[in-house]
Amino acid sequence: MRTRLIVRTLSEICVTVGALIILLVVYVLYWTSVRADRAMDGEIDHLQDRWATGTVTAGAEPSSEPRRYASGDSFAIMYIPRFGADWAKPVLEGTATGTLKKGLGHYSRTARLGALGNFAVAGHRRTYGDPFKDFPALRPGDAVVLTDGTTWFTYRVDRRPYRTLPTDTGVIDPVPRASGFRRPGRYLTLTTCEPEWGHSHRLITWAHLDATQSVAQGKPKAL
Amino acid sequence: MYGWIWRHLPGNAWMRALISLVLVLAIVFVLFQYVFPWAEPLLPFNDVTVDEGMAGPR
Repeated sequence: MRTRLIVRTLSEICVTVGALIILLVVYVLYWTSVRADRAMDGEIDHLQDRWATGTVTAGAEPSSEPRRYASGDSFAIMYIPRFGADWAKPVLEGTATGTLKKGLGHYSRTARLGALGNFAVAGHRRTYGDPFKDFPALRPGDAVVLTDGTTWFTYRVDRRPYRTLPTDTGVIDPVPRASGFRRPGRYLTLTTCEPEWGHSHRLITWAHLDATQSVAQGKPKAL
Repeated sequence: MYGWIWRHLPGNAWMRALISLVLVLAIVFVLFQYVFPWAEPLLPFNDVTVDEGMAGPR
């Protein structure tokens, strides 16, 4: 009887652990995306409401003003036609774990949108809505379009995604290391994880500001 | 363990099955709401930034 009890208890523990693992996989693969998609839609709605009611803090001239975005708040919407016509994600200030669950995160020490310097943004490649799932598909010439409610900024990708180590912070410098850019300019950097489900490396894409136009002039050609 | 729980639930078999279902749902809720959100950052999928000292996630 004693052996029977031990075998039975062991089996029950195995079944329980198995069920827990399946539930965790469901949570990571499915539930985080459900939650993140809801949060990201909420942020975009919130931004569009704010812009529609005209409470936009004037940022029409992309000068090198020292103003900072409020940490954790969304301030722009990003469109990347390569990722799909309906791909639109909010950009929030900061790269804290909680912030990245609600959208893309702007490295707070990098330049403002459209400003001289490097506007660097991080995003999940997998889980939490998979915003940067198709990151390796980016090619030179692809458009990365952003709006802050007053201005459309069209950036153009300059080279294929670049693989680097997580400690390589030079890639988000004002003139990013290894990007091929030589002189100061208005650049954009996107970062995500590499490999797709791992964290041993990072994947980087650089772009330069190609065109700006006021929201009153309608959507840019790239969209 | 499961046999022990089953024996200690009140009512007939239907009642016990119903209570078991509620218990399972409660456990799944607690897992999704509290346990997994705590455990998930320990997995590697959050590392999407290049390190900024303490400013970025792990």
